Amino acid sequence: MQLLLTRIKANRLRTACRYSTQSLKDTYKAINAHNPRLNALPHIHPPSSIQEANGPLSGWSFAAKSNIAAPPLPTTCGSHTLASYTSPFVATAVSMLEQAGARMIGTSNMDEFGMGSLSQTSVHGPAHNLHPEHSSALHSPGGSSGGSAAAVAARMCRVALGSDTGGSVRLPASWCGVCGFKPSYGRVSRYGLASYASSLDSVGILARSTRDIRDTFNIVSAPDRRDMTCMSKSLRTRIHALSASREWISRDTECASEPLRGVRIGVPSEFWVTELSPSAVDAWKQGAAKLSSLGCDIIPVSLPHIPHTLPAYYTLALAEASSNLARFDGIRFGTRHMPTLSTRANASLKYAQTRSMGFGDEVKRRILLGTFVMSARAHEHYYLPSQRIRRLVQREFNRIFALPNVLCTTNTKADARNVDKVDAILFPTATDTAPVQGTSDNPVTAYVNDVMTVSANMAGIPAISVPFGLHNGMPLGLQIAAQYGDDDIVLRIAHYLEPQAA
Amino acid sequence: MVDTGDRGGVTVPTVDVSELSLVLYRVLTTTGFKATIGLELHVQLLAAQKLFSAASAKWNEPPNTNVNVADAGFPGALPQLNPECVQLAARAILALNGQIQQRSAFDRKHYFYADQPLGYQITQQHHPIGRGGYVDLGLLDGLEYVKRIGIHQLQLEQDTAKSIHGVYPGHVLVDLNRAGVALIEIVSKPDVETADEAVFYVRKMQSLLRHIGVSSCNMEEGSLRCDVNVSVYRDGEDRLSGTRCELKNLNSLKVIRGAVNAEISRQIDVVRRGDNIEQETRGYDAQSNTTFVTRTKEAVPDYRYMPEPDVPEIHINDSWIARLRKMLPETPEVVMARMMPQYGLAQEDIETMLGEPGCTAFFEQAVVGRDPKRVLSWITSEVFGQLAYRSQRLADSSITVPQFTQIIDALSSDAITSAQAKQLLIAFMDGEQRTVDELIAAHRWEVISDDGKLRVISKQLLDAHPKEVARYLKGQTRRLNFFVGKLMQATNGQAKPQNASEIMKELLEARR
Repeated sequence: MQLLLTRIKANRLRTACRYSTQSLKDTYKAINAHNPRLNALPHIHPPSSIQEANGPLSGWSFAAKSNIAAPPLPTTCGSHTLASYTSPFVATAVSMLEQAGARMIGTSNMDEFGMGSLSQTSVHGPAHNLHPEHSSALHSPGGSSGGSAAAVAARMCRVALGSDTGGSVRLPASWCGVCGFKPSYGRVSRYGLASYASSLDSVGILARSTRDIRDTFNIVSAPDRRDMTCMSKSLRTRIHALSASREWISRDTECASEPLRGVRIGVPSEFWVTELSPSAVDAWKQGAAKLSSLGCDIIPVSLPHIPHTLPAYYTLALAEASSNLARFDGIRFGTRHMPTLSTRANASLKYAQTRSMGFGDEVKRRILLGTFVMSARAHEHYYLPSQRIRRLVQREFNRIFALPNVLCTTNTKADARNVDKVDAILFPTATDTAPVQGTSDNPVTAYVNDVMTVSANMAGIPAISVPFGLHNGMPLGLQIAAQYGDDDIVLRIAHYLEPQAA
Repeated sequence: MVDTGDRGGVTVPTVDVSELSLVLYRVLTTTGFKATIGLELHVQLLAAQKLFSAASAKWNEPPNTNVNVADAGFPGALPQLNPECVQLAARAILALNGQIQQRSAFDRKHYFYADQPLGYQITQQHHPIGRGGYVDLGLLDGLEYVKRIGIHQLQLEQDTAKSIHGVYPGHVLVDLNRAGVALIEIVSKPDVETADEAVFYVRKMQSLLRHIGVSSCNMEEGSLRCDVNVSVYRDGEDRLSGTRCELKNLNSLKVIRGAVNAEISRQIDVVRRGDNIEQETRGYDAQSNTTFVTRTKEAVPDYRYMPEPDVPEIHINDSWIARLRKMLPETPEVVMARMMPQYGLAQEDIETMLGEPGCTAFFEQAVVGRDPKRVLSWITSEVFGQLAYRSQRLADSSITVPQFTQIIDALSSDAITSAQAKQLLIAFMDGEQRTVDELIAAHRWEVISDDGKLRVISKQLLDAHPKEVARYLKGQTRRLNFFVGKLMQATNGQAKPQNASEIMKELLEARR
């Protein structure tokens, strides 16, 4: 059975290569045409350095977000602290893509250390959206993986790796009109991804089609001993067996008129937030209608703690960030600013100069807030309640999904269907389309952009944003999310939701 | 030691005059007060690699040569738990009669310092791998009474890098070799009450952990570090009522004893004066025999503990624990209690052997059918001497039990002399593979025990040195040594010294 699956997989990948293979020439043509305006790729491999390689992804070009280790290009994380830092080791995801025959063409722009939703805070300057096309207005491509999304949208590469901690792959995908996938936590190794919030970070994939997403995912979704939070082989096998045991979902038959017959899609009412724009609501309704026409049952569901996820997310993410960024003192690597004579005496002040001058304002803001919520007095008022909310949100997802959470059960087969449960949920990726770059004043209002995306990170569940139309020339996307480990059904449903033109 | 005689309600010590001043001082100043002492031992594990990285954990290597991207905190590097460290920690817990926790987890303890490259230490503050346990102290440990010191918890944690001050003015040198090496922190319950008990507790811990191969527990090398918490209380009050001070950087048993006594005295003085004890961290100055403040309570950092998100929980099941228990060697106490009567050896002898992992087992195999005293002496003088010379451990040496016993047997049967036996030992420890018999033949060492032959040679020597014979007969009996020496020379050292001496004496006397 395993052998058959592998053969099928290999065949599909080979077929994928014959679909719209982008030659190296086209890639660099697009880079030259768009990168100066979009500022999507701060570091690019010269075309002469790129060698053809064999493998299932032979002929594919990819970009990696600047927080993913990919020497010899610098891993800047969009920060002055690491502006000329080159990693001594390669990220697992990058080396897997290269071994599969894909070629890296450059690193992509991002918000500094992944902290932002607008790709505005980078040491390389802001990134811009390809849309609106044929216009002088420069819109934000979203963040923090804005460079990756813009590069894919402008056809500068076939696929791009990003990182998604609170929506950083899905939000830019929806604003740039491309697909952005955040797999289940632990599917893709984080070894080589500079940590922002370790328990929320996931390597994500951006591409112009769900097929390309899936082919890339099949390569990078593999066990890695060097990351202890990466799913083991046995866990992956268990999940596969559990999800395959669902008899109520039809097998993937592309020619059937109702390819998603039996699939139940939940529409969580708590995502109907006041900030939701009319265009986003419209897209949501149309998306539901489309899925219904393909055989899905659409039912309302409730996730009562969704409104609490945003403040809880920001508490936990910032706490972990303050911890993960403590290592940047300029001593063993990175930019260093020597302390002035007066500060030399005090041990902790030795780092103050480097960190004050190396980090941008948003990063400093988040480190300070994160330090505060972890401090002795604030710990039980902010950090602990946020962890409890996280646990509650996970439980609520477990309650609505028909597939049991493999981490919470010893079952090897999914029980016969409970009529109240769903296989996936549908909701918008963003409350509105991309704003003009540089117009956001209050940094905290920008946090609201994440309200639709953070819950998937809090629960570790797989979620994808697929492009679903334009509003005033600006793209918007819809999200599909499912139970932990059920990446397959997310990709399957997304495939039918995305625009059918190749 | 101290004999307190009761004289009409007043307790007066009667002591050796030489100890009078010290003991009297201590008794007069401490009467009416008692101390509550807790110890935190940081023990470096004997694992080949670090706790969360594959870099070598070897001690004393050139600076910054055993460093991995995870140790140095490069972005994107992640911790990878070393299972050998978990095993060693679990072994220690079993040997200390504690409970291995079936679920344990790691935390991050945050502070900025030159020796903390990640800005945090990975430790097990809230969910340690071991809880409970105890160490029993008694007569064999140097204590006149029996006492059980409880253990609160045993946790796995990372060691820091080494930061060296004062070499380059205005700079700190950082060596990351030690960063991330596995430690177990053993936190005792505050059951200890005197400096002696504290020292014996540490010694006992050293002996135990060495014996089971968990650590070399060497305070000079830094593989055992000790912090002590001390508080005092008036006799009759709650023993936990005093404010405690922490004594850090105590780098030898002698220092521990001195520091604890000095601190107890200081705290009693403060309380007697009517002042409050400030909760502080203090160091010890051996010269002045006093403790001094190194950090006040206000300066204690807020560590902002956070669960370590990069390392999942450790789950340990019963069968793993059962297998580990089977592999655990006997504790030193059990070994001591068994071997003393069995072989008629003294406590010090067994202790010496217990200090070298694998030695008691070696002894017990070698001693079968042989004189325990001789086997012991050859192990502790000759073998240990050779190990010290080579800076080797017995476990790494090439000497085997059969080789060793061959030497002993050859010596016992007079086939070789002591000097030759030593040579053979050296050869075996250098890797010699031939048997003792083969070596004796190769060296042509067959001992001349044939008295007849010796007599002939001796007579020849006496004839050759008439002056010396005359001197001997006149009364200079020490001239015997001259002739014995000559006989040994003539026989290339192959005559047995006792035989040579007896024969010479006999022949000399015959010439009177």
